[in-house]
Amino acid sequence: MASIRLEGLTKNYKRGSEVIRALDGVTLDIDKGEFIAVVGRSGSGKTTMLDLLGLLLKPTAGSYLIDDVNTTKLSDRDRAHLRARKVGFVFQEYNLLSGLNVLENVMLPLRYIKDGKVGRQRAIELIERVGLTDRIKHRPAELSGGQMQRVAIARSMVNQPSLILLDEPTGAVDTETAQQLVELLKRLNSEDQVTIVLVTHDTDISGQAKRQIRLKDGKVLTDERLADTAVPVA
Amino acid sequence: MEIFRNIWRHKLRSTLTISGIVIGVFALTTLGAFAENFNALLDGGVAYFGSSIQIGPPDGQSAPILPISKIDEIKQVQGVAAAFPGYSFPAKPGQLSFSFGVADTIVASDPAEASWGSIRLTYSQGHAIEADSQGQVVLGTTIAKEFKKQVGDSIDLPVKPPDAKPDFVNHAFKVVGVLNQTRTAPDNFAYINIADGQILLKDSLPAPLQSTIDVTKITLGIAAYARAGTSLAELDKTADRINAQVPGVKAIRPSILVDAFKQFGTFFTGLTTAAALIALIVGGLSVINTMFMAVAERVREIGLKKAVGATTTNIMGEFLVEATFIGLLGGLLGYGLGVLLVVIRNVFFPAADGSTLFLITPTLTAIAIGFATVLGAVAGVLPAWRAARLDPVIALRTE
Repeated sequence: MASIRLEGLTKNYKRGSEVIRALDGVTLDIDKGEFIAVVGRSGSGKTTMLDLLGLLLKPTAGSYLIDDVNTTKLSDRDRAHLRARKVGFVFQEYNLLSGLNVLENVMLPLRYIKDGKVGRQRAIELIERVGLTDRIKHRPAELSGGQMQRVAIARSMVNQPSLILLDEPTGAVDTETAQQLVELLKRLNSEDQVTIVLVTHDTDISGQAKRQIRLKDGKVLTDERLADTAVPVA
Repeated sequence: MEIFRNIWRHKLRSTLTISGIVIGVFALTTLGAFAENFNALLDGGVAYFGSSIQIGPPDGQSAPILPISKIDEIKQVQGVAAAFPGYSFPAKPGQLSFSFGVADTIVASDPAEASWGSIRLTYSQGHAIEADSQGQVVLGTTIAKEFKKQVGDSIDLPVKPPDAKPDFVNHAFKVVGVLNQTRTAPDNFAYINIADGQILLKDSLPAPLQSTIDVTKITLGIAAYARAGTSLAELDKTADRINAQVPGVKAIRPSILVDAFKQFGTFFTGLTTAAALIALIVGGLSVINTMFMAVAERVREIGLKKAVGATTTNIMGEFLVEATFIGLLGGLLGYGLGVLLVVIRNVFFPAADGSTLFLITPTLTAIAIGFATVLGAVAGVLPAWRAARLDPVIALRTE
């Protein structure tokens, strides 16, 4: 049973009198626990697709169901509530709040679902799982790029979402750190059965996903299941 | 905690913004306390003149005296329950002083009148003047402080001015009581008996008249009272009846005096409050500016919060709380500074005549802090709205 279903999902933008089809009738099923890499050239529609999956954008046409909830006709408020419960985000530039420490940053999404002490305990456990217990009171400025991205990954999971969306998560770190982050994602994907959709230009990273979707001009060019993803690239 | 951090993130800017509110609230507190003190004085006037009918000589009569026999005629008028003679003299003749209070005054009245007046006098020391006594005085709290007198002391009244003429006469009075503070006219009064008042009246007459006028037969004014609970409109009617039925006197409608006090109070409060509010609104504009800058600097943060589930209301609420907190903080600091100034002025640098210039009231406290807080909230609405309406997709990718 697909946990995510896109049917003819379309997003158009207007630039003056010109209409740009950023995503053009994409139909996909994504099962629970999949690890998907979305690849394609710049302007292929990767980021638009990520924003639509994250309920940050409303589609121009088509429908998007997440855990059987049709999101297409939801109000902005309901979309925000659904986003808080079902979706986690990781960005290339980490987007941590500089005034908050590691624990407070991880707990940020809990503010909008009011999960209280249970959520705090979960945040502490996630920080332990991403290997940053000894940095729990540190501010972002005191962390390396890799550590900041680990915090962002922990933050994306604190609400126990169905779907984690990552936008070029390894774009701002070196190759070795990038690989460590991918290992972490694969472990969390395997242990928590959380669905991961990752947008990347890095073929080393996309090659380690279980499924790779290639976009071109807003359409799905290829949709492949990769067989031997359990073994990381040496 | 995050509010503190956000405000403290730009220390200088936050300090300047809060300072704007502080200055406004400081102005509102001090000018408001000034107005409150003045209004307390006027309220006393409203209470006194709203519960009695003041009767003086008729229009056209130059000498400010009345035959004391008029009291009996006035008592016959329907609605009049009591009437008393009254004498008042400057306590410090020939001395000019600028004051927002009542000038120090010697008031000679019948002790029985105290039970009719609307202002109930209580004693911090001693007691009322004894019936048929002579040479006794009860001092209001301000006049007692001014001359550093307490029960048992002696005071010469009227006070001899430095440039007194050779024929200046005053008399020694024994202080038998000191009143509690009323914040209105009695604080500046020295109460003496009718008989002593008549002696002072005689002293004040030109020498040739002193032997020809029997001061026990005249009064400087008459105060008439109705039964307790009589309305102002009914008192006005009684004043009209006195004018119609008693020749040679003029009763002033109490409502005319009350309206005059109220109008002056409203004007004075409006003037001082408007000046302070202008200062405060300028402070409010600086909050708007600061909050707009905060929104511009935190676009990515807003985008992130929306991405992790914040609703438009959540974001708006966070910025509104921050702006409100700036207002509250400025309000508390400005109010604190204002109270400090008032206390320093009232306690350490009291006026020469012992009167206070400022009065901090619960209403003023609520207005000063409440207005600053509401101003902060209102100033935050537009920036918070702008923050809440940001498109998260654009906000997240803003450099």
